[in-house]
Amino acid sequence: MTTNGSVDYDALVREDRIHSRVYTDQRIFADEMERVFHRGWAFVGHASEIPEPGDYRLAWVGRYPIIMVRGADGEVRLLSNRCRHRANTVCQLERGNARFFRCDYHGWMYRNDGTLASVSYPEGYDRSFQKADFGLIPLPRIATYRGFVFGSIAPDGMSLVDYLGPASDQIDLFCDLSPLGEIDARGGIHKYSYRGNWKLQIENSMDGYHPNFVHKSFFGMMGRRGIKTPTRHFGGTSIAVTRDFGHGHVMLDYRECNRSGQVLNVVQGGEKYRAAMEARYGAARANDVINSGGTHLLVFPNLVMIGVQLRVIRPIAPDYTEVYLYPTLLKGVEPELNQWRLRGHESFFGPAGFGAPDDLEMFERMQVGFQNDLDPWMILSRGMHRERREADGTRVGHVTDEVTQRGIWREWRRVMTGRDDDTQTAEAPPLLAAD
Amino acid sequence: MATLRERIEDFLFHEAKLIDEHRYDEWLALWTEDCLYWVPCNSDDADPARQAMIIYDNRARLDERIYRLTSGAAWAQQPRSRTRRLISNVEVRETDGGYAVESNCLIAELRRSRQDIFAARILYTLRPAGDSFRIALKKVLLLNNDEAIDNLTFLV
Repeated sequence: MTTNGSVDYDALVREDRIHSRVYTDQRIFADEMERVFHRGWAFVGHASEIPEPGDYRLAWVGRYPIIMVRGADGEVRLLSNRCRHRANTVCQLERGNARFFRCDYHGWMYRNDGTLASVSYPEGYDRSFQKADFGLIPLPRIATYRGFVFGSIAPDGMSLVDYLGPASDQIDLFCDLSPLGEIDARGGIHKYSYRGNWKLQIENSMDGYHPNFVHKSFFGMMGRRGIKTPTRHFGGTSIAVTRDFGHGHVMLDYRECNRSGQVLNVVQGGEKYRAAMEARYGAARANDVINSGGTHLLVFPNLVMIGVQLRVIRPIAPDYTEVYLYPTLLKGVEPELNQWRLRGHESFFGPAGFGAPDDLEMFERMQVGFQNDLDPWMILSRGMHRERREADGTRVGHVTDEVTQRGIWREWRRVMTGRDDDTQTAEAPPLLAAD
Repeated sequence: MATLRERIEDFLFHEAKLIDEHRYDEWLALWTEDCLYWVPCNSDDADPARQAMIIYDNRARLDERIYRLTSGAAWAQQPRSRTRRLISNVEVRETDGGYAVESNCLIAELRRSRQDIFAARILYTLRPAGDSFRIALKKVLLLNNDEAIDNLTFLV
């Protein structure tokens, strides 16, 4: 598996199986940080978290501590949280508002646009010292799509629009649930961690095979309330599908299951909401958006969007991961609709929710299982024989099929091997017209 | 003759014992029908109209929490957490129709060879019921409610 001290990623990732070493190996983890999280686009946060000039929040891109901040000029920036003098972090609180970031070590002051405002006792530096040369270093690249802020440590690479590809339509569905087309990501944060690899979380987020088993108790509870989601959405006879848009962006597509416009039945003022949506988008688009109920998407590598939620995954070690869940609010709707979103989020998610903790339990059990590698392979072949491709190249399968997992690993291998193209296309099923 | 505070302390000790001994049905019977079991998220004063909570159970959801814990399929509690909790610093104030109670709570939780400590200030609204009390509100202000928590599926 290792040649000249480097890892042979083609040997670890096959189209129908992966080697479990990809979840445990410290060297692979280090390569992931450089190649996946630093060279590519990583999600940082949503601009609605910092609406006012001076609003900031601490964030990470890979191992880089940064500050996402809206400057006095209104522009959102990603600045290094590192003093140019001796590397102290200049911002300590998770979020807040500041005109200046001051380094507490020797008193250097930076404006909230990152420029160096003052150094202490400046007579100690000669004329060659120019303050303009010592601002907080911005991330080499920043790009936003509908307020979703992405950063990259690499100065060059694919544009965000090209990287997102068709996945951007799903981000639209998520945001267009607001009749103003805007979400507010300040609905609180459910924070949890688990003793397992970060990829277990993104794979599980896009796994339509597990819910009836892992979430048996949750569905049992819903059954007591008279709701029959399990068979409609997740069973072998479900009409939902998996989609792989390329670049590791994959989704569980439940739109065909949600045609009844369920949100309107449970929320007070539902008809008022529909009217506002139709006024904004027209009847047809409003109907599509309402029935979609958001999306169920992975934006590779670290952003998941499920229903009302943004999920941000932060790898810390091969066997340790931290996850922040942001239940979002919709702008321009009645308070009852947002409260329905919040209460629904609590019922499943968070460290005391009725669903998500059982997923984490699976991750920790897998991390134990990896230690027994008498047969190190994990099988991802489910549904390969019935996978099809639509005209735009999107791969589609049954909701329980591992189309999504294969899509994630195809991108992971592309990035880890440094290839520009996907050399495995020869193994892909033949191109079929979309249904 | 026990003082009011002693009677309420006895009630809190009893509640703690029911949780630590996994006597869920008896614990449920301590609550009123219009109860709220509330664990704020991110800060003690987070607004439920604008922010998600860690727990925000009305009576129906509290019943569901116990249903889930006893369903045999709540994997995050298989094996289940063993807990032992201390209640102290109890303060009692009489209000219209009940009592506003504050206490400190320290919970040791053991699961899969790992022991965690949780600390909280707990606010109760208690109502008199015969010679005992019922819980109308239990608001648990976890010291670490703004930190990543692995698993809080046991009762706090």
